[in-house]
This record gives sequence, structure tokens and C-alpha cells, in this order.
Amino acid sequence: MASSEKRRLKGSKVVIRSKTFRESYYEDIKLFQTIWIRIWISLFLILLATLPIWGNPYVIYLINLSCIAVVAALGLNLLIGYTGQISLGHAAFIAIGAYTTAILSSKVGLPFWVCLLASGGVAATVGCGLGIPCLRLKGLYLAMATMAFGVVVDFVVITWGKLTGGIRGINVAKVAIFGFPLDSDNKIYYFLLVCTILTILAIKNLVRTRVGRAFIAIRDRDIAAEIMGVDITAYKVMAFTISSFFAGIAGGMYSYTMGYIHPEHFTLLLSVQYLAMIIVGGLGTILGSIFGAVFIVLVPELIKAISRFSALLIPALKGKYDEEWNIAAFGLLIMIFLIFEAGGLYGIWGRIKTSFKNWPYTY
Amino acid sequence: MKVRGMWTGLLVFFLVCLLAVPSFAQRGVTKDTIKLGLILVKTGPVAALGIPNGNGMVDYMQYLNDQGGVAGRKIEVIWEDDQFEAPKSVAALKKLITRDNVLTVITTGGSQQTIANLENINQYKVPNIPNALMKEFYDPFQPYIFAMGATYEAQYDCIVDYIFNDLKEKNPRIGVVYEKKEYGIKGLEEIKKRAKAYGVDLVSELVLPTGAVDASSQVLGLMNDKVDYVVTCLLLPPTITFLKTAEKYNYWPKNVFGFNWAADDMIVKACGEAAKNFIGVNFVGAWWDESPGIKLARQIAQKYNRTDISLTSLYINGIGVSWLFGEAFKRAGKDLTPDTLKAALETFKGYSTGGVLPPVTYTTKSHEPPEMVKFFKADVANKRLVALTDWRKPKEMK
Repeated sequence: MASSEKRRLKGSKVVIRSKTFRESYYEDIKLFQTIWIRIWISLFLILLATLPIWGNPYVIYLINLSCIAVVAALGLNLLIGYTGQISLGHAAFIAIGAYTTAILSSKVGLPFWVCLLASGGVAATVGCGLGIPCLRLKGLYLAMATMAFGVVVDFVVITWGKLTGGIRGINVAKVAIFGFPLDSDNKIYYFLLVCTILTILAIKNLVRTRVGRAFIAIRDRDIAAEIMGVDITAYKVMAFTISSFFAGIAGGMYSYTMGYIHPEHFTLLLSVQYLAMIIVGGLGTILGSIFGAVFIVLVPELIKAISRFSALLIPALKGKYDEEWNIAAFGLLIMIFLIFEAGGLYGIWGRIKTSFKNWPYTY
Repeated sequence: MKVRGMWTGLLVFFLVCLLAVPSFAQRGVTKDTIKLGLILVKTGPVAALGIPNGNGMVDYMQYLNDQGGVAGRKIEVIWEDDQFEAPKSVAALKKLITRDNVLTVITTGGSQQTIANLENINQYKVPNIPNALMKEFYDPFQPYIFAMGATYEAQYDCIVDYIFNDLKEKNPRIGVVYEKKEYGIKGLEEIKKRAKAYGVDLVSELVLPTGAVDASSQVLGLMNDKVDYVVTCLLLPPTITFLKTAEKYNYWPKNVFGFNWAADDMIVKACGEAAKNFIGVNFVGAWWDESPGIKLARQIAQKYNRTDISLTSLYINGIGVSWLFGEAFKRAGKDLTPDTLKAALETFKGYSTGGVLPPVTYTTKSHEPPEMVKFFKADVANKRLVALTDWRKPKEMK
């Protein structure tokens, strides 16, 4: 709350915070707007930090997968949500990152931080290379071009067997930090959590800078942005590069988590899944990417859990669940969110927050 | 208020569903239940192979339950669908062990899935019999993996041996049609190596993509190369595609050979005349054999109303795998843990499944499969495969 607002209400018995008023540009771009946000985030981080102590191992594994999905989804949201450039080739960049980590860790024996950064770097370089010819493409044409890129990457990975293992796949050496191998889900959880937090901070910081504003300007009206002096060429290529960098990092994280990668792990369906994450989560929002990624990773588990409980109430439903329910649910979710909830889970979250903030009043 | 209450309620419900953790004193075993996991494809493009296989495994366990169970315990099987994808298989294994607390997982799926799960199998001590026929699963020794069927290498060695020794060919023109998958690449390499050992080079090597609906260019290529014997490293659907396309072009090589995943009655049912020169190899008995084990398999299928088993060889395969586990449960007795189960499996010495699988031997140092196959040829009139040979191993080459 702004200091002037506090002074006016001083002495009152009831202080109702109706809005968070900002008095300076600095306050507007602060990463954590209020003390309560910092408190809740701190409590949440403590919860996450202690999770391996009290959490079920399978839940830890799901959270590990969610961390990887969050990093990749953030990268994709930067490209699609913030810059308005559609991409169906995100899985290809994740594959590039995954294979870079696998090759450097297993065949060359480099430390994990070198492998991870190299994954991001290689993917970013390829992303930059793809961004330049795609500059003049928009909409469906850009989607087709990025999808075709995915096919090319798949072909290269399968054919270049000497380097990538081809259709045999490739094993990945364990992450070792100061000589201690992260050889269980609980140990690798912390590694993934740190990578995810750093990614979130990086992207959050990026979107509040001049670069982030340029991306948004391009998304909203690229011609107007160009007239205002935004270098469309440079920023579009930058968006592809940065998005690919984080996809590469996510690929590296995936390699270390799974311990084994295969070309069939990175199909067009994976790109569509990431698209679903950012649509369901909320395009153009960081929290939306996080919500969407976690939600899509957990949807199969939620459906299994619901079917388990339903079978207790209706015995005829026992044993009827199969993976095609997930595919059906997946498609249904995308349709529902596109039609009824354009803001995604972030929009729903915003309304829940407002409802709590305004309580006991409606508005 | 209502909206807030609704969302709060939903969140609590989902958290309870997700975080609820059952607990057992002994993993997967109580005084009256043995809980097993099964990871096998149930939906997706390869579902046609996974469903009969899984049904065979589940039905045999149900048969044991109907006989009174094992050591007074009934067997419960939880089947997780991995859609033939390794990441889903890994997630399924972790869920089965850490949440569902199963004693073991009967199979972790195909080659790719098993490789991805190798570390978890050793970490969680999961004795299992994968649906994967790669030498890498028993050499080097993997303590918890028990190989069940002749490897791809052994199968293709037997095929090449058959061409030279049984068909008495001196200089056959051999062509290979394969999928760019693990079994396809392995098959091609092994056939090449084995043919070379007989002093012959392959005259044709053609890729038929998975899911291809036409094999015209492959058939025309083989005709052009005047291939006498076609050895396919293809699953059942592309083998059917190949045979039907060959018929269309009136291409009749002396024989078309297929490995275990294609050696099924379905080939003859789907292709009819087009399969007349097809010979398949398999490490399980044929559906119409009169051996005691196969007869039991047919009785089990009838008992549990499996009136429409699309791939009978895979159903028999499933019966065989569960048969081995059932026997191991009996040998482990009351004190059933992953380690005693493993030890029980390692007591098998020439153990017979009545013709379902070849005699099985596992030791504490070797979980090698019985590298034996039978040859089956198409009986077009009766729409089935019939045995051509008895169990045989690859010939020792000097």
C-alpha cells in the first residue's frame, strides 16, 4: 500500500485494502509487490524444500516432471504468449538440449553445469538460426515451418546414430555435485527446483525490462511497434533464441532426470502438449505457464484418482480406466479453456484472489 | 463465497486423491493377497499387441486364484498402460512401487521401456520378465531381469541356418525388409553377419516404415534384385502390408520369413493366399498345438470368455510369463518378498511349461533365456500357423 494511503487511514479501526496503489515506476516493476507476496512465497519455498522429507516418492517424481515442464513452458510462453510467434517445434529444441547434455555428460564426461549451459547454448544457437528465415512468416505458415523443423531434428537424431545412439537411444551419466551423485528422485528434486526457480526469476525479470515490453509490442501490433522504433527483426530473433535456450535447459534437466533418452520422447505431440500448457495456464503470463505445466503433468493422475474413487461408488467402473481417457481429457480441456476461459488458469486464479481480497464485499 | 468454497473443496479433494498413501508391512504381500503390477501397452498404435499379451498374463493369475491362490493368497494385478512410451513406463513403475506398493511388476513393457526403467528396477528390486528380446538384458548380467524368449539375434540366426541347412541352399539371394526400430536394426545386422558366416552377402536391404499402408517400392525393389528369400524384421501389421503388396505385384519369393512378433495366426487370417509361403519363428507354441500347456491356455481363454483373441501367440506368451511367476510364488512359499521371489526364479532348471515356452533355466549368475525357437508355416486352408520343426537353437558356427 502506498504511504499516502496509509497516512489517511491511520487512526481508523478498520483498514480495508482495496487496491495496491503505486507511487513510482520502481514500485510498479518490483518483482514482489507486497510484503504478503513475499511471505506466501517464502512459506511455499519452505514447503517445497521440506517435501522430500514428508512427501510420497511418486509425488516427488511428478514434481520433478513438473519442474521440467515449467521451464520449457516458460520458454514457449515467452515466444507465443509475449511475442505472438506461434511455434510447433518446441519439442525439437528440448530434444537438442537433451541430446547435448546426454552426449557431453556420457561421452565427454563434462560436469553438469557445463552440460546444462551447453544444452541451452546449442538450442539457442539453433533457435537463432531458425528465427532468421522465419522472420517473414506468420500464423499458420510459421506453425508449419516450426513443425517441419521438428521433423528435420527427428531425422537427424535417428540418422546420426554414431553421435546420438539413433533409435537405440542414449544413456545419461548421473548429475554429481561436488562429487556426490544425485542418484535418487529426492536428490535430483533439489537440483531441478533450483533450475526452475532461477528460470522463473530470469523470465520474470526479462518481461519487466525494455526487451519484454518490445516483445509485447510486437505481439499486440507489430507494425505500430516498428513505427515506434522497435527493431522487429532483432526482437523476433531474440524471442526465438531465448525461448530455445530455456527449451534446451529443460531438455538437459529431462536427460538427467530420466537417465535415458530416445528420439520417440520428443515427438510433435510433445510440442502440442506444451502449447496446451500455456493455453490452459494463461497465455502471456508467467504464473499461467507454471499453473498450466503443473496441471497438464498432473491431469492423468487426477483422472486416475477420480476413476479410482468413482469405482468405489460405482463398482461397474472398476478397471475401465485407460490412457485414452487422458487423451480425451486433454483435448476437452483445450477446447473448454479456449472457448470459455481465454485467460486460462491464471484468469481463474485472478478471480479467486480478488474474491478473497474483496471479502466480505463482492466488488 | 460459494465460488471460494467450491474451489477450496475441489483443491482439498484433489490433494487427498493425490497424496493418499497406503501402507503395507511387507511390500505387496499380506496374509491373503499378493499385489502385482503390470506395465503394458493398452491403448495407442501398438495396443493390438499389448492387449492379448496382458490378457494372457492376467488370465493365468486369475486361473491360479480360481485354484485357491498361492500359499493361501489371492493374486491381484494392477495393469498400467504406458502407451508404448518409455517416459510413461518409468512413471508407471514408480507409481506401482511407491504408491500401489506392489510386490513386483510382471513386465515393464518393451525394449525401450525396459532400458529406461533399468535403474529403477535395480533400485526398487523388481524381478520382472520384460517383453524385450535383446541380449543386453542378460549380458551383462542384470540381477532382476529374467529373459523369457529367444533374442532377436538367435531368431534370425535360426532363420539363416534354416535357409542353408534345411532348405539346402548354396548361394541364396537373401533380401531383408526391416523397420527402423531396435528389433529391425538388430535383425538386419544379425542376418548380415550370419549370412556372411555362410559366405553369402545380402542382395537387398529395404526399410518399411512403421505404419506404412503400402509396400510397393519395397516389393518392386526386391523383384528387381531377384531376391529368393525375404527375411522381414517387421511387426505384424507391416508384415501383413508387405505380404498383401507382394501378392498384388504377383511377387512370390521362395519364402518370406518373420520373427516372433509377426509369427501369429493373424498373419494367415489377414493375408489368406498372400501368406502361403510365409514361415515364422517363435519362442512360444502355436495356438493349435496339442501340448498340455497350450491346451490349458485354450481352456483358460474359453473360461474367461476371450472369444476374440486377435493375436493368439501373444496371449500364449502372456500365459507363459505368468506361469513362470506362479511357479516362483509357489517355490518362494509363505515368506514372499522381492528377494525370495528372485531366488525362487533362480531355482528353475529345465522347468517345463508344457509346451508354452521352451524349458527354462535360470541361475544366480545367469538369467539367459532358452535360446530356442520353433518354425511355423502358414496353413492357408485352416487359417493358422502349424509347426514345421521342434524347438531348435542356432547352430554353433566355427
